[in-house]
Amino acid sequence: MLERKIQDELRAIVGGDGFFVDPEDLASYSYDAFVREFMPDAAILPRSTEEVSRIMKVAYREGIKVVARGAGTNLSGNAVARQGGIIMSFTRMNRIVEIDIRNRCAVVQPGVVNLALQKEVKKRGFFYPPDPASMAVCTIGGNVALNAGGPRAVKYGVTRDYVMSLEVVLANGEIIRTGGKTVKNVSGYDLTRLIVGSEGTLGIVTEATLRLIPLPQATKTLLALFSSVEEVAETVSAIVSAGIVPTTLDLMDRVIIDVIRDVGGASFPPNAAALLLIEVDGDEDSVDKQGQRVAAFCRERGAVQIDAAETQEEADRLWQARRSVGGAIYKVTPSLIVEDAVVPVSELPRIIRRIGELSKKYNLKVGVLAHAGDGNLHPDIMTDVRNEEEMERVEKFIHEMYEEVIALGGTLSGEHGIGIGKEKYMGLEFSERALDLMRGIKKIFDPKNILNPGSFL
Amino acid sequence: MKLEENAFEEFERCAKCGMCLAQCPVYQEILLEKASPRGKIQLAKFYKEGRVDLSERARDIFGQCLLCGACATVCPSGMKANEIVIRMREEIARERGLDERAARLVSSIVESHNISEEDNVERGDWREDLKDLPSHGYEKERAEVAYFVGCVASFFPMVQRIPQNMTRILDRAQVDFALLGGEEWCCGFPLLAAGAPEKIRHMSRHNLEAVKSLGAEKVVFSCPSCYRTWKEHYDTQMELCHTSEYIHELIRSERLPLKPLDPVRVAYHDSCDLGRHGGIYDAPRKIIQSIPGVTLVELEHNRAGSLCCGGGGNLEMAAPELAGKLAKAKIEEIQQSGADVVVTACQQCVRTMATSARRQKLDLKVMDITELVVNALKD
Repeated sequence: MLERKIQDELRAIVGGDGFFVDPEDLASYSYDAFVREFMPDAAILPRSTEEVSRIMKVAYREGIKVVARGAGTNLSGNAVARQGGIIMSFTRMNRIVEIDIRNRCAVVQPGVVNLALQKEVKKRGFFYPPDPASMAVCTIGGNVALNAGGPRAVKYGVTRDYVMSLEVVLANGEIIRTGGKTVKNVSGYDLTRLIVGSEGTLGIVTEATLRLIPLPQATKTLLALFSSVEEVAETVSAIVSAGIVPTTLDLMDRVIIDVIRDVGGASFPPNAAALLLIEVDGDEDSVDKQGQRVAAFCRERGAVQIDAAETQEEADRLWQARRSVGGAIYKVTPSLIVEDAVVPVSELPRIIRRIGELSKKYNLKVGVLAHAGDGNLHPDIMTDVRNEEEMERVEKFIHEMYEEVIALGGTLSGEHGIGIGKEKYMGLEFSERALDLMRGIKKIFDPKNILNPGSFL
Repeated sequence: MKLEENAFEEFERCAKCGMCLAQCPVYQEILLEKASPRGKIQLAKFYKEGRVDLSERARDIFGQCLLCGACATVCPSGMKANEIVIRMREEIARERGLDERAARLVSSIVESHNISEEDNVERGDWREDLKDLPSHGYEKERAEVAYFVGCVASFFPMVQRIPQNMTRILDRAQVDFALLGGEEWCCGFPLLAAGAPEKIRHMSRHNLEAVKSLGAEKVVFSCPSCYRTWKEHYDTQMELCHTSEYIHELIRSERLPLKPLDPVRVAYHDSCDLGRHGGIYDAPRKIIQSIPGVTLVELEHNRAGSLCCGGGGNLEMAAPELAGKLAKAKIEEIQQSGADVVVTACQQCVRTMATSARRQKLDLKVMDITELVVNALKD
């Protein structure tokens, strides 16, 4: 509970319709899309950098913990108040400040919804590629904090590759700016890259300048069906090493296909054991050629059927169904834990085999979904967090999977972040010295440990 | 209806994925998580777990819902937050009683048999403006078709054109139809949204009797909410259809000859109860397209994705200012479509949209589908 006096001080900054302390109002700030929930002491919705700065000055002075939250679609418990304190929600700080065509960038407030930005720049012939599955809802602030990716990362990279500059409010309320609108910039340490993906532990992003690229003329979506996941993994590996760069190469196994088969009017073929959802983009002519090349690769490696989406609507339905996996799984299971491992693409077949072995070993139902083209896997563990015995098996499964991932040269997270879901595995990937450096950085930025404390460090 | 145990179990099915946020007009306006479908499901879950009481604050939160069901159309795990909101309103009404405005509405319905606290015999007053009104005033002893007008179109002058036009259409097609007059009672729909569903039987029993005494086999509704309420809550084998379906059928069977209109671009607005909840998307569009000279324009959000006009879920009663903002957003979408006229098939949508357009001093023509058809009737 915050003292009455402090409540009044915070309320005075944002007004009564932007500050909440009653349980009815706070219930909805107790979750994100991860499975664990924590009740905050307050929620606050700033409308400007200046308000954020004033809030942080109070929080710093009083040692109150602050967790920044975008749309709360994140999957590793990165936006919940694990140690209590204030949830700072950015949904009302949602203005596109500027679309600067001459410098090919957009300046946005953190609460701007990813898809809203994509639509706005598209009108001017530009493209903002990062496309997390939650893009219709998730915010740029959250995307920056978690360095969000998405299917298109195969060709276009992740949020980090588009962030040119940030305005950041520090723990004590000071405001700094990193980077700028220039393409090149090697002055000093790259604070922009340090903040991107730092999960709200180093500072609060209040504005982001994002690089835009020209909108591809055309896209084409293909659906290739295989008789095994291993075949898909081999195919992806082969496509990548042949120097073909599709926009997306998303893999789904039978478990996942069954879950989304008819979501939103999509229709996935009934007998697929595994499939690859492929998008290519470019000039009108080139998408056909690329599509044919990719299709040939699939066919040579055992694809039993290859379909092209006839219309954009059909393609949209397939992708929307793909984006609905996380929610749709709840039709068949009480809880879902989405993992986010990444391996070098060449190791994809091996890790997929290993996941199969481990799910048998621990008797778990695990669907495999992967942005296979960049080696990013989302094993979807269908479980029930209330079942303690099963959760022990889940823990063992995750632990052994990450041991293998790290041994193969991979990493704990590709695009969801560490949060409170995977902090305990950090030691698998980083030496104690490396972790110490991170803790040191955290301490310099946040000496009182008030920014998203208890999340991964 | 008590909140069922399994209804509570249902809360666990919410993945908190947040897909509903993009679809919810209320959330998009307020931008507070508690206003989102996901947030309301969480609050319901907290209540089930005994972590919050059903306070006035909770009543306000569950009051801020159009019951439009847009969230349910995108929910990957098949949650229907709108139904959870209705159940929570019922729970709150049971625990704390109805709030003043809802109590007044409910007593008006139960005692006066309409939503407007009017004498129910005035239900047919809209006929006074009709030319060539037959002596029976359409209140006949026997008829093949019963036309159920609904409270809003009966009592609100702004939309009384709807039954006036519908009777012209039915006459032109030589349909043997009758009105129930003062024997038509409120269908009970507002009781559900207010959280007082137990009183609906009182209304349904009477209405069913009244229609049966006509010997009618078919009931036609111009109000999508009456239509939905009969379909979902009335125990009957009679054929129930909405005016849009019926008019489409009359056009198709060549009982309603239409003439060309001057070229006009018409946007069709899908009302929540006719579209998402009634599954009727095509009939009104086919009517529009069957009139020569009329071009159908689709709004950005259409069919199952349609944006509620702001008139749903008793929101106008619970939060009039919010409802007004949502109506404004709807009007903006219509203007962006470049249409000259917006047509819908719901008196509530006509009323909400026309009021908003008038308040904004906009020159936007809002029509019910029956008005468009009457304009195109051959002389």
